[in-house]
Amino acid sequence: MDLHNQVKAIRLQRSLTQEALANVLGVTRQTIISIEKEKFVPSVKLALELAKALEVPMEKLFWLDERRGE
Amino acid sequence: MIKGMTLYYVSRIIITAIFAALLYFTGMLLWQVLLVGGVILALFLWAPHSGRYAIHPEFGITALRRDERSQSINDQAARIAFIVSMLFSGGILVSLGLMGVTSIPIALVMLVPAVGALSYFISDLWFRRSQQ
Repeated sequence: MDLHNQVKAIRLQRSLTQEALANVLGVTRQTIISIEKEKFVPSVKLALELAKALEVPMEKLFWLDERRGE
Repeated sequence: MIKGMTLYYVSRIIITAIFAALLYFTGMLLWQVLLVGGVILALFLWAPHSGRYAIHPEFGITALRRDERSQSINDQAARIAFIVSMLFSGGILVSLGLMGVTSIPIALVMLVPAVGALSYFISDLWFRRSQQ
């Protein structure tokens, strides 16, 4: 099962740049790019930090296969 | 230069100076010492802008930290480098054995870490490119 996310969409809704989000999480901008392009699967810790930073429930940010988060 | 990173920059200048002094006292020519020192310092100055490290100025001299993606890439690259080095060493042994050479030339043995390092850097670069 593939992991999908809508980090980019929610980040843009929050008017956050990749750089700003990376700074909040203490990671590189490249990591945010990779996560948004679904080329890197973050750890549970980083995923939870992302959800917290973007103020959305984890299940809205990440889901498996075709199930989209609501 | 990134604000709040003074400790990082000062520490890297000191490290470069110590390394350059060591090279000088081992007999290297002054222009070579300056060249090597300059390259090392340039790499230290470039590192915070390379996108390879998360920047945490609050940690002072250790302000550059690998985040989990970088760590994962480094781990994969290290595994590949190890495997390539082992295969290369095995290849040397088998080839020399088949040729009937009983002693291994030291120059060939010295190639093993070089091949390992090269495969590490190529893998690292490849994973960084492919995961973007």
